[in-house]
Amino acid sequence: MSKPLPVNLYDSGPRHVRALRSSALKLSVGYIALGLIVLVLFAAPLWYAWRVTIEDNRMAILQADAQRLAQVFRHEGPRALAELLSERVGMQIANERLLLFADPQLKPLAGNIDHWPSQVPLTPGFNTLRLQIDGRPAEVALVHLQLAGGYHLLVGRDTAFYVPLERRFWYALFGAAVILSIFGALGGILIRRALMARIHLVRQTVSAIMLGDLTHRLPAEPVGDELNTLSQTINGMLCQIEQLVHGVRNVSNAVAHDLRTPLAELRVRLEELSLTRPSPDHTFAEIDAAVSDVDRVISIFNALLRLAEIDSGMRRSGFVPVDVGEIAAAAVDFYQPAGELKGARLQLLRADTAQVRGDPVLLAQAISNLIDNALKYTPAGGNVVVSVTRQADQRIEVAVADTGPGIAEGDRRKVTERFYRGDASRGTPGVGLGLSLVDAVARLHGTMLELQDNHPGLRASIVLGQDTRPIERPAPVVSKPGELQHEPVYL
Amino acid sequence: MKVLLVEDNERVTQFVLKGLTESGHTADHAANGRDGMALAANEPYDAIVLDRMLPGDIDGLAIIEALRKAGKRTPILILSALSDVDERIRGLRAGGDDYLTKPFAFGELLARLDALTRRSEGQGVQTRLDVADLRMDLLTRKVTRGDRDVVLQPREFKLLEYLMRHADQVVTRTMLLENVWDYHFDPQTNLIDVHISKLRQKIDADFDRPLLRTVRNAGYTLSSHE
Repeated sequence: MSKPLPVNLYDSGPRHVRALRSSALKLSVGYIALGLIVLVLFAAPLWYAWRVTIEDNRMAILQADAQRLAQVFRHEGPRALAELLSERVGMQIANERLLLFADPQLKPLAGNIDHWPSQVPLTPGFNTLRLQIDGRPAEVALVHLQLAGGYHLLVGRDTAFYVPLERRFWYALFGAAVILSIFGALGGILIRRALMARIHLVRQTVSAIMLGDLTHRLPAEPVGDELNTLSQTINGMLCQIEQLVHGVRNVSNAVAHDLRTPLAELRVRLEELSLTRPSPDHTFAEIDAAVSDVDRVISIFNALLRLAEIDSGMRRSGFVPVDVGEIAAAAVDFYQPAGELKGARLQLLRADTAQVRGDPVLLAQAISNLIDNALKYTPAGGNVVVSVTRQADQRIEVAVADTGPGIAEGDRRKVTERFYRGDASRGTPGVGLGLSLVDAVARLHGTMLELQDNHPGLRASIVLGQDTRPIERPAPVVSKPGELQHEPVYL
Repeated sequence: MKVLLVEDNERVTQFVLKGLTESGHTADHAANGRDGMALAANEPYDAIVLDRMLPGDIDGLAIIEALRKAGKRTPILILSALSDVDERIRGLRAGGDDYLTKPFAFGELLARLDALTRRSEGQGVQTRLDVADLRMDLLTRKVTRGDRDVVLQPREFKLLEYLMRHADQVVTRTMLLENVWDYHFDPQTNLIDVHISKLRQKIDADFDRPLLRTVRNAGYTLSSHE
């Protein structure tokens, strides 16, 4: 990190908050607008249906009334109708019903309209008109009937009767909109406040982490809401990062420590040589020793590079079907003299076919490391048993069991850490990378190194998935005329 | 033997050129890919030692591919700081004959060069190997020294076969690991020495003249003469 990030974080803090505030505001305004639109969409058809129903109803009532009056006219004549109308007009309190009976010249004979309204067409039918009634404008619905002998009958109604109802409808709609807006805004503010509180916590934690304290974790309840799920995921990531950083720190410390020892020896050797200027013979012997000091450093680096290569997972592309039984047999064969030298018995128990999919070079190195390790800690007269067996689930187990001191339960996880060396290994050669490499190879093959008690001793095992495909014998990449005709497992 | 060294690092160049001259070989040097390509294409060399990463637009692999395409079969030893197994494979696939990672010991380089040039001399299919009074029948898998039978384990047989095929050359521990055990990694042990001493027990123990000798700071050699 070239820039001090935490400072940047604090600088940009308020801007972040503003942006969030405005985005929270936008969100609640959007929701309120959406609510209003929904309200209107809900009210509009209702309003329409209401209007249509009322209008139809009104017309049907007026029509029925008019027909009744027309019947009076038909049976009893114009005079009787005029009298009936006058009677009804007299009974009416307000001008709720408009009535007009006119002769063929449109001269009013009876009713509560003093003249024929000019807007009413002469053809019979239903009309809604704006009229002056008692000196005030009113909207009226009118049914116009043409009676026998050219008489005209108008039956109508002032629609002002419904106006308060309509007004109430509009008031209710408006009220609903206002309530919706208020609650929407309130809800928006509350949600934003709750969200901000949690985001503030997250920001605080992240700031602390950026300042270098990787032990911090985001607050996460077990209930699985979105933010908690996110927090849990981030916490998982933090655990991984902490582990990696811890690992890197450990490795660099260990590398520094383990490299310092041979380098210090080398330095002493060279300085002594330069000070004492011994005889040429002695000088050359010292130079040879210095070269092997350097070789030790190089071999540590090589082992580390190898681990990094395996860890990167790049080698998985090189997986081929291989018989681990053969690999184990070759390794046992290779280490046999070491066992003999030490006075320990090295044995192989091998299943007929133990084909897996993997990297033959890495598997060979892993098995070699396990055998090397087992032989190193097994005392004279001890036993090291390498077994390649097929389990009940058809997977292949490769195990190396020794009768050495074993590893204490609590230390078993630690031995796969880079450069870890148990107490028992003090004074034995090795750089403490052997089991880390085995573990890395196991993980590359999708499994892990398991360490168990062998009563006494250690039993290290890897369980590999079986591969049923036929083993392809890859052709040698480079032809070597006159070269050994061994089967190239790998080149 | 006439060797071409294509290498841009001055230190390494001096070290290799001096070593080659001292061991009785002649060597040419090119410091970049273009010169290296020109020399390799026009001069007859017994072997080429080639750095993979070179200044300029032509790198080591490009030179190898061009030479092989042009039908040149000169043995090429790739020298590289890229130690990944995959890089090794890429180098050999491109047409290199052997791969040595930096840092390296000069003894290792020389031994591998010897093996490469000897190999390219091309022997026909052999059924018998002879080194001094040691004889190996590849068909019956019988080994005798003088008039005595030598009984070998299969792996010892392979080890001896490799040594006999490279008689009078220095064979390094890494070469043995790679070619006899097919181990392309460093097992961090001196077990090769133990295997060699066991073999020595079987072929040299009861004879005045030892055949299998240790070469200091390099490896072993099976010598046919005093």
